[in-house]
Amino acid sequence: MKVTFCTDLDKSVVVTNCEKRGWVQVGPEDDWNIYWAGTLTCKSLFSVDSGYRMSDAQIINHFPNHYEISRKDLLVKNIKRYRRELEKEGNVIAEKGDSKYLHLDFIPVTFVLPADYNMFVEEYRKSPQSTWIMKPCGRSQGSGIFLINKLSKLKKWSRDTKHIFQPQLAKESYVISRYIDNPLLIGGKKFDMRLYVLVTSFRPLKAYQFKHGFCRFCTVKYDSSVAELDNMYVHLTNVSVQKHGGEYNSIHGGKLSVQNLRLHLESTRGKEVTEKLFDQISWLIIHSLKAVQPVIASDRHCFECYGYDIIIDNKLKPWLIEVNASPSLTSTTANDRILKYKLLDNIFSIIVPPSGFPDTRWNKIPTKEAMKDFELLIDEEIIQNEDPETSEKYGAKYSSMYRWR
Amino acid sequence: MEELKDKGMPHTSQKICDSIQKHPSYIGFIEEVQKLVSSSNVSVNNFNETLMKAMREKGIECHMKNNVFHWVASNKKYKMDSPIVDLAFFKRAQVQWDKRIHKSLNSMCSELGITLARARSSQDREELSEKWGELSNYDIDVSKYRPVYAPKDFLEVLLHLKSPNCKVYDIDPNWEFAHLPIKVKDLPELRQHYGELSRGEQILGTHTYGTLFEAERIQIGERVLAQHYAPVAQEYLKRGCPKNLRSEMWSLVLGADINMIQSEYYESLKNHTLYYDLMIDKLIIKDIQLTASNDDQYFVFEDVLYQVMLCFMRDGDILKHISSQPGYMQVILKGKQPTSENTMTFPPSGVIPFHGFTMYAAPICYLFQDPLKLYYVFRAFYLRYWHRLHRVCGHEQGIVSICLLFERLLQKFEPALWHHFREISISPIKVVFKWLMRAFSGHLPPEQVLQLWDLVLAYDSLEVIALLAVIIMIFRKDNLLQVTTLTNIESVLADISSINVIPLLQMALLK
Ligand SMILES: Nc1ncnc2c1ncn2[C@@H]1O[C@H](COP(=O)(O)OP(=O)(O)O)[C@@H](O)[C@H]1O
Ligand SMILES: [Mg+2]
Repeated sequence: MKVTFCTDLDKSVVVTNCEKRGWVQVGPEDDWNIYWAGTLTCKSLFSVDSGYRMSDAQIINHFPNHYEISRKDLLVKNIKRYRRELEKEGNVIAEKGDSKYLHLDFIPVTFVLPADYNMFVEEYRKSPQSTWIMKPCGRSQGSGIFLINKLSKLKKWSRDTKHIFQPQLAKESYVISRYIDNPLLIGGKKFDMRLYVLVTSFRPLKAYQFKHGFCRFCTVKYDSSVAELDNMYVHLTNVSVQKHGGEYNSIHGGKLSVQNLRLHLESTRGKEVTEKLFDQISWLIIHSLKAVQPVIASDRHCFECYGYDIIIDNKLKPWLIEVNASPSLTSTTANDRILKYKLLDNIFSIIVPPSGFPDTRWNKIPTKEAMKDFELLIDEEIIQNEDPETSEKYGAKYSSMYRWR
Repeated sequence: MEELKDKGMPHTSQKICDSIQKHPSYIGFIEEVQKLVSSSNVSVNNFNETLMKAMREKGIECHMKNNVFHWVASNKKYKMDSPIVDLAFFKRAQVQWDKRIHKSLNSMCSELGITLARARSSQDREELSEKWGELSNYDIDVSKYRPVYAPKDFLEVLLHLKSPNCKVYDIDPNWEFAHLPIKVKDLPELRQHYGELSRGEQILGTHTYGTLFEAERIQIGERVLAQHYAPVAQEYLKRGCPKNLRSEMWSLVLGADINMIQSEYYESLKNHTLYYDLMIDKLIIKDIQLTASNDDQYFVFEDVLYQVMLCFMRDGDILKHISSQPGYMQVILKGKQPTSENTMTFPPSGVIPFHGFTMYAAPICYLFQDPLKLYYVFRAFYLRYWHRLHRVCGHEQGIVSICLLFERLLQKFEPALWHHFREISISPIKVVFKWLMRAFSGHLPPEQVLQLWDLVLAYDSLEVIALLAVIIMIFRKDNLLQVTTLTNIESVLADISSINVIPLLQMALLK
């Protein structure tokens, strides 16, 4: 009996990886064991109308309602709710100081528009000189994003868009976030990090962080002056934006590996602050997942690989920008191809039980060898068993964060 | 050092004193001492003793010791065992080679209708000055320029070296270096030289040792830095350097401190760049574009590399300090009277970049945010080591010796592989030469390059580069034995990004 796989993505990195494992490609109507699908396919598969029922031997690469984390507005809502709940519980994690969360202040202040307009205005008035970034909730790749430094501009924008007769666009909701105007620069340029996180279960939470990732650099020097406010090559790090710029270099694609970023930071800023930065990143990933844990349908057939967008500011504090449920698998450079190939390989290595056959009844505790270049972020099942030996064995380096829970 | 001892200590100390007195920081040093003498710490009655004590406490003694250390390190001479060998032919070959390069510079100039040197227009100067921090945006077209030479051209030159002393006929002189009368270390000697590696001691950079060992290294390293004594820092590097201490450790070992004099000098180099447009500027810009700008490990440092390299190209101190005395020309600025103030030594630093020259500086960018500090560490590294890798010389650390060492070691370690190369008539040196000439920069990932260079500093020797090249070949032996064409061999060795330097070297040297 051979493992079968199915994909609706025209991505060689998926197919080559599956074939390398000796899996046989089949169509969506056939008996598949593993489906690597786009979110839309997933949605229709999970919809009640489809009447499709997965067997124990079938797994798929999305959770049915992943948008709870991947939609910009819902992510913010969930995180806000999560904080409030912890605060009510009196949990130390939700400790506050100076009216800010001490440990959970990892997303820029954000409001949903038009719903939270009044709240936004109130916040805006507190510091009228700051810059804000407007992002359509349901889009990606930097599309529809713009920066705002005056309330009047926002008003003008909302008047203008209403005039346009495009009902679907007019209804589109936005998030408005405080713009991180002091990003860490290297060579004078802004960048953000793309990190990969694999979740194999939400209840209990089982998450792994990929060791490799990259920084995506802007092609134009950072300049926070008003004159450059509309220059997206200065402010947006998306490759889909930058590659249209005249300065884009397709050999390196503006991508520096996270390892090399770390080397540079440790060499120039020191070991302690660098370690703290990377610990904080793992921390924010864990809590962003905890924030959606109660609302995501933790279907045993599902696993998902998220692309985290993180900005580091010049005080070496990381900020969560967004979480993508379908991070790009397109390779822009040779090294990119190697990285994405490895990513897929390592994902498959974790999600498939030692028997080699997908099985939803498996306890989803891979061996350390099977984790390859993923590191265990959290496995609540292991923590719950409170067997320090097991958690050590699986290398749960962040389990200690949960000692108060 | 041997030859120093021969002439006796008094002679040496005299030489050191003379040279330190000429050093730009000498005046500041004397002022410090004078201040100390007039302080209450020093008493007339017990002058000598109290002064020495005060100097020790103020760190002046350490400063002096470091100066002597750096002087000795940069004034090491040949240590040839066979005095009958005539090394002049290396010098002659370099002179010839310099001439050829100069000729090719000149012909490139006439081809492109430009001059070697001219004053910049004020408009150009302004633009350059404005864009100093982002020179990638400086508008200049270098598409017509090409690197003056590449490693393979230089290898050709080396392979054609003919020693007047050597009359061995069965050696194909264009294939290897065995006929050259240079003594290189054999394996036991290398083992002795790289004692810490060959004894299998714990060294940072091997993954098997945990964070505990790193913490210990950091603790010791901080104490070493606090002492600020260069020889101790050098000794420290032998067991690997934590990333966070490397920049300071290197600066200390290389004597690349920054004070007023250094920063003013750097500023003057910058000004020189703003005022004079040199043909060599375009060559180095081209080199950066061909290498760092396209490299996903270094592109973020493109702008700082422009600054540093442009300054380096016109640093006259380099010409003064390179022991192998590069050739240079005297050129008159375009459109000016041939007076002495319009005449310029060209290239001012004596350095003409080859394809990949930027790679000597690129990894160091990881260590510094300040271009000034980067500049002086890079310059010190160049003056102490890198210049020997792209010049013809018979020095025991020179490229010829490194090549020969590579060959001997390969022959000794893996005769089968050596014969395989003979049979398919491909010279193994051809395959690894670019690694050697660039000290592996651009070929290994930055952290690995830095670890390798730690060892260069620690043991004050480039031999480790030849050794690493041999081990990588042996590491890929099985694949190499299966292929018979140069292209295929090159593709077996094309990607060495997964190499771990320290464990490999340790494996090779372990008894
Ligand atoms: N609050 C912010 N501060 C600074 N830069 C931001 C902020 N939000 C987004 N950006 C920049 O805009 C880019 C796109 O934003 P993102 O939220 O990831 O939307 P998209 O889904 O279009 O990628 C980010 O990669 C980042 O460079
Ligand atoms: Mg994004």
